[in-house]
Amino acid sequence: MIYNFKYLAPETRGELHAMLADRGPAAALLSGGTDLLVNIRNGVLRPEFVINVKKVKDFGGIAWSAEEGLIIRAGCTINDLLRDARVRADYPLLAACAHDLASYQIRNRATVVGNVANASPCSDMAAALLCLKARAVISSSRGEREVPFPEFFKGVKKTVIRPDEILERIIVPASSAGAPGDYRKLKRINGHDLAIVGVALLKQDGEIRMGISSAAPTPIYVGGLKTSDPADLVVAAALEAVHPISDVRCTREYREHMIQVYVRRLLEEVKA
Amino acid sequence: MKIKLTINGASYEKDVAENRTLLRFLREDLGLTGTKEGCGAGECGACTVILDGRTVNACMVLAAEVDGASVKTIEGEARDGKLSDIQQAFDRHHAVQCGFCSSGMVLSVRELIERNPRPSVGEIKQGLEGNFCRCTGYTQIIEAVLDVTGQIDRKGEMTHA
Repeated sequence: MIYNFKYLAPETRGELHAMLADRGPAAALLSGGTDLLVNIRNGVLRPEFVINVKKVKDFGGIAWSAEEGLIIRAGCTINDLLRDARVRADYPLLAACAHDLASYQIRNRATVVGNVANASPCSDMAAALLCLKARAVISSSRGEREVPFPEFFKGVKKTVIRPDEILERIIVPASSAGAPGDYRKLKRINGHDLAIVGVALLKQDGEIRMGISSAAPTPIYVGGLKTSDPADLVVAAALEAVHPISDVRCTREYREHMIQVYVRRLLEEVKA
Repeated sequence: MKIKLTINGASYEKDVAENRTLLRFLREDLGLTGTKEGCGAGECGACTVILDGRTVNACMVLAAEVDGASVKTIEGEARDGKLSDIQQAFDRHHAVQCGFCSSGMVLSVRELIERNPRPSVGEIKQGLEGNFCRCTGYTQIIEAVLDVTGQIDRKGEMTHA
């Protein structure tokens, strides 16, 4: 039997915000549940309330806006994203990171918003969202605010989200559509695993942007590089930005080595 | 709390504890013990069931969340005492050894062939990446999937490209 919490399932945005305003510090938000329920089962988290966001009206799936681009809502699963032909065509890097996330069953349940709000250093979706200049739309009964992803992560499992707030949707700007990019994820096994290290690289309008996972307390953004820059310079910028540790999965040196290998491969393989 | 759902085509209305997982609900409240608990953390896929047409790990879903949903478990595969096509293919290819992964494997195969009626070996491996077999019989399981999708002849020769 897992820890005895109270389950809440608001049906409107207003109800959800009121619940968070009342009980935020004692509540955990349940989206896909693929991290939360495991953490509760293992006793890592003991929330008094579990608030399911999937029953909230208009919180599911994705939406497209001509001005804004792709809008990923709180209940959108990884496979909801992957099943959309326009996502795969317009945002190939987003699809590549989604495809490498966990196993098929988990992708049916896990959400994009959950994968970033959880703020694990190994978040696969964060690597893509950083490169794509995506913004987090955080809401509460006090209103809404937008945070660009490089400012969203504050540490291991820490974000800018306050206890009365929710990451309601993610905006992937229309200006990033069509940019070629890909993701390389090093795992211990060929099947599903957490990243030992992950490198996303995107090329757009002569610019190179990278998102690196599992190489620092937060997913790391590396920008300000040009497609005309020599590979050594791009590699140096990536290694300068990360601070990998040695842990149960591998050593710091191996992570640094593989970041270098992946950056070089992606520079050749991603065609601008 | 009270939940209403359909399991293998039958309607259920039950009181469940708010912290009950779908897995425990199926096994302990309903006695549907075909669904197995392996790791309890979304690694092994032994508890795979089909929720509204998609496979999920039942250990990572709350019973409360499936209110109004339709669930298929391994008990819904055989009909009138006759094994399903996938179960028969597993039988023919000796794709079952200890059997602990089989319930989840069969349901993952069921969902895979619904969305992809002729999966390649690569697509089968990817479709089953969330189901661990530790005996291990992956080769026989892949052969069973090729068989049930008409890509292998009954002597075991692969016709698949």
